Amino acid sequence: MRISEEEIRKIALRAIEELGNKATPDMVREVVQKSFTKLGTMPEGYSEKDISTGRIILTSFGFNQPGIIATITKTLSDAKIDIKDLSQKIMDEFYTMIMLIDISNSPKDLKELQEDMAKCAENLKVKIFIQHEDLFRYMHRI
Amino acid sequence: MAYEFEEVLETIRMTEIEHFDIRTVTLGISLRDCVDRNLEITKQKIYDKIIKYGKYHVEYAKQVEAEYGVSIANKRVAVTPISIPFDNYKMEDFIEIAKILDKAAEDIGIDYIGGFAALVQKGFTNGEREMIKAIPYALSQTKRVCANVNVASTKAGINMDAINIMSEVILSLAEKTKDEGSIGCAKLVVYCNVPEDNPFIAGAFHGISEPEVVLNVGISGPGVVFDAVKEAGRCDLNTLAEKIKKTAFKITRAGELIGNKVAEKHGIPFGIVDVSLAPTPAEGDSIGDILKAMGVEDVGAPGTTAALAMLNDCVKKAGLMASSSVGGLSGAFIPISEDRAMINAVAKGHLSIEKLEAMTAVCSVGLDMIAVAGDTPATTIAGIIADECAIGMINDKATAVRIIPIYGKKVGEVYDYGGLLGEAPVMPVSKLSSENFVLRGGKIPAPTRSLTN
Repeated sequence: MRISEEEIRKIALRAIEELGNKATPDMVREVVQKSFTKLGTMPEGYSEKDISTGRIILTSFGFNQPGIIATITKTLSDAKIDIKDLSQKIMDEFYTMIMLIDISNSPKDLKELQEDMAKCAENLKVKIFIQHEDLFRYMHRI
Repeated sequence: MAYEFEEVLETIRMTEIEHFDIRTVTLGISLRDCVDRNLEITKQKIYDKIIKYGKYHVEYAKQVEAEYGVSIANKRVAVTPISIPFDNYKMEDFIEIAKILDKAAEDIGIDYIGGFAALVQKGFTNGEREMIKAIPYALSQTKRVCANVNVASTKAGINMDAINIMSEVILSLAEKTKDEGSIGCAKLVVYCNVPEDNPFIAGAFHGISEPEVVLNVGISGPGVVFDAVKEAGRCDLNTLAEKIKKTAFKITRAGELIGNKVAEKHGIPFGIVDVSLAPTPAEGDSIGDILKAMGVEDVGAPGTTAALAMLNDCVKKAGLMASSSVGGLSGAFIPISEDRAMINAVAKGHLSIEKLEAMTAVCSVGLDMIAVAGDTPATTIAGIIADECAIGMINDKATAVRIIPIYGKKVGEVYDYGGLLGEAPVMPVSKLSSENFVLRGGKIPAPTRSLTN
């Protein structure tokens, strides 16, 4: 996990503000830990959230049938995931759907979402891919 | 939508159908601080250092794979050419070092580790002689260790003494691993102009100008380029070149992203993207198929070299545009056993070693994964290596020979290694003798860089 200098500065300023002159090392540690939690990351260990943004591209395709989007969006809303954009095409019996979603405010991380969607895909007998947006940005935007 | 429908689907198609993957994320680790007078302490230092940096290598790569939905086929490690830090050791000691490298590789969960290497284009140190002598034992007694020896360069010329020694080493290694189709030779590369940051096993090592630890990435994607060429249909060559470049650009960008992310997780610098088209024996993952889609009837037909030259150049140009840190071998690999279409071309008698040699003048590496009869004389192997080195030396490019004289096999027979190494048809080699030339020994002097006619 990389933390920008600006973020470190902010955390330091917040610690000074809260603690004033009577700070002990323990108190500093507590405030810093809290700030890191607010940033959505812990300084130690790896969290799925340390990817640059929470924007994910969800792609799904398969044979069209009622309830596909309902099932997928239900899973997303249960996980408090925001849908930023959605587009779909239907060709004969075959459908393709692409969704841009944001998981930054979700209690679930990318891995958990992938597991949930794998279950959805199995129940609906369709394909669902969950990939971080960066991949598409790198490949298709200069 | 921030992305066009087609753009998203194109990416999904590449990763899901066209076998686009990151071929390798290779962790380069310097072992220059691991030397001690006591061999046991040296071994412990080597082991500790590889574990320290490599412990989470596979884990991190898997996390990135999941985030981006791009599979990373291989996770590997390359170390400093071991002849350099451990120059005061004897042959037996080098075998012990190979064994500890093997153990460290096994313990961090990787299949191959590169760097049992020496750079002897200008001459040998005592340690290098001992290390090269150790190769047949080291590679036959370990599973994961890969070796390479650089015997020529444009600046130094060709060290024919080294080539003669290496051809004996190859035959000895073939004999020592005869029960498994002389598989040891698949782990040994003889180079001219070796790049120091190549992430691709078996030729990978952590060059002497590299930092303490670094992460390099090798991309792949013959399947993606093959489909692009097919889709282009009957257009002229300029249009085709554009099409290939666009595709190669996209896969390089993905490679750079993945490399950066894995390096970020390690907290180490990102080195280079090796923009290579590396085939596998899987259906639709073949360079030979691309050449055929470009229009030659089969690999080996007149025009094959030109088609390959264009393909190679397009990949390089697109790669350079897509990433600021392109390095390694960067180009199209043309191994025989690892490429379905190449295997078929050899089996049908369409592709000979001689034509393949011409193709290596314009591809990224050289004579790669070619099987020859087990009774091929050492001097003939030396002649083949010398020819390949001459191409590399004169054209200022990396060339390599990974030749497998399969013990007990004759021309026309096939040995199936399985997995990524594929199946190797035994190719015919000229019966004419090279003996009186190669056994002169000494060196072919470095070439002139002017009067380039």
